[in-house]
Amino acid sequence: MNELTIAMPKGRIFEEAYEMLIEAGFELPENVEMSRKLMIEIPQEKIRFILAKPMDVPTYVEHGVADIGIAGKDVLLEQRREVHELLDLNISKCHIASAGLPNTTLNEIAPRIATKYPTVASDYYREKGEQVEIIGLNGSIELAPMIGLADRIVDIVSTGQTLKENGLVEYEFITDVSSRLIANPASYRMKSERILDLVKRLKKCVK
Amino acid sequence: MSPIRKFEKPLGMRDTFPKIFAKKEVIRQTGMEFLRLRGFDFIQTPTLEYYDTVGKASAIVDSSLFKLVDSQGNTLVLRPDMTTPIARVATSKLLKEKIPLRLAYFANVFRAQQLEGGRPAEFEQMGIEIIGDSSVYADAEAILTAIRLLKTLGIEDFKITIGNAGILEAIIKKNVQDQQQFEELHNLLVQKNIVGFEEAVISYNLAIEKEQTLLSFVEDATEMKSIREIAKYLYEKDAFIYMEQLASILEIADATSYIAFDFTLASHMNYYTGMLFEVFATGSGFPIGNGGRYDGLLDEFGIEVGAIGFGFRIDHLLEVIPQQSETNDEVLVLFVAPQLAEALETAEKLRAQGKRTTLQSMEGLDNLAAFEKHFAEIVRIGQGGNVHE
Repeated sequence: MNELTIAMPKGRIFEEAYEMLIEAGFELPENVEMSRKLMIEIPQEKIRFILAKPMDVPTYVEHGVADIGIAGKDVLLEQRREVHELLDLNISKCHIASAGLPNTTLNEIAPRIATKYPTVASDYYREKGEQVEIIGLNGSIELAPMIGLADRIVDIVSTGQTLKENGLVEYEFITDVSSRLIANPASYRMKSERILDLVKRLKKCVK
Repeated sequence: MSPIRKFEKPLGMRDTFPKIFAKKEVIRQTGMEFLRLRGFDFIQTPTLEYYDTVGKASAIVDSSLFKLVDSQGNTLVLRPDMTTPIARVATSKLLKEKIPLRLAYFANVFRAQQLEGGRPAEFEQMGIEIIGDSSVYADAEAILTAIRLLKTLGIEDFKITIGNAGILEAIIKKNVQDQQQFEELHNLLVQKNIVGFEEAVISYNLAIEKEQTLLSFVEDATEMKSIREIAKYLYEKDAFIYMEQLASILEIADATSYIAFDFTLASHMNYYTGMLFEVFATGSGFPIGNGGRYDGLLDEFGIEVGAIGFGFRIDHLLEVIPQQSETNDEVLVLFVAPQLAEALETAEKLRAQGKRTTLQSMEGLDNLAAFEKHFAEIVRIGQGGNVHE
């Protein structure tokens, strides 16, 4: 049996995905110490987890240093990496939306959109036939309309609580997001038995 | 942008240093010898081609082409692949002399720059084209040649995934409402986005049996035990019988352990019409090669004959080729001016024995000790006679 390297996003998605793997019958330790570790070896299953920033998971998988990975659809849409998208795990669900201060319209001359997802935002507005200027930010996106950097933000929304607390309202729904199982094209062929087995077992646990 | 530093080269361009050059040469020579033995003739075509001919006929998307303008105002491209130029040469000249043609190449091709590493804008390919043979035996010859070539290069752990563009098209088209849906589903399969495919199929609101057919086809096709499982999806069986024949030829040739069929295999190379395949090997996260039947491309150049070929990427082959242990048996012959004649003679003798011999005058060296470190054996031609170390 070949060693399988799985790229996992650190944080919330990791725990949900990890529980799903246990449910699918993989023999994994109940509690993993993942505070500072970047790699976890599971010798009894011949699995190695690498823990990456969610945005970086598709990069590791595309280059083949991880055979498979778990990545949010938001990240896949933004990064457009050459990876196979095999299964919708239906976990960590949220959506991408545009938001802004209540009762505002887009600036007519040069509407500005602040976002962590420049590709997704640009695609969305182009599809709508609106020409906008994209401003890339790395976090605390909600600040942008509050202090006048942008008219709208494009970001993931799960409960809407963060928007509310910052006095913003959701304007347009852009797309649904959930976590997906992705695979490197070469690994998908060279380790097809292991990967297809994993897909089959996880599929049964998708709710 | 920060100013360009002296050592920099354009984005996506790579230098080939002596060690890598030597490895590439091994691949080139081994491949050439092997392919010539199988009856293939090597050819070369120009680096620049017209955009209107090769540029447009090539399956490489427009935005990936390097374009420039010649002194007459014609748009030129740096060749993005070798199949299209070879189709041009074959249709205009070579096919009149011999048919079918078996051609081979080892050449650099160009794809426009990408910002991220790991995607060179210039890379070498080695491949073959069999032009003027529409039989299934040409398909088999292409696949067997690919398998044998990899084994000759010492690569054992590889897999060839075989699909059929015609069969895939027939199955999807039979079950969708229009061309746009077909293209969308086809594109999703090129990326092997199974989740997207399923979502799209459901969103079309097709008749329930058509929806089920498409969904179960994708599931069956990825986990087939035998290609017969796919027959039920086809009304027109010609292409299927063709693939069955191919499977049995490959079985006779004892190649089954290296191949797998996957009828969802789709390629962005839109000139593939029939059988197509991708090659993967342990050690590289990217396909090391791909190929297929491209009868449609020859039509574009005005001749209706069958053609099939494949190309391997040398940069990816280098990642998967077994490491040869490096043995340093280089000889250094050092001399001072009065002993030149003797030094020349000694060096010639050593070279005649097949030893790689460097002749170096002491006068030309600043740091003797550092230079000597590169050699396994040192011969000093001195006044007290020759000293070997």
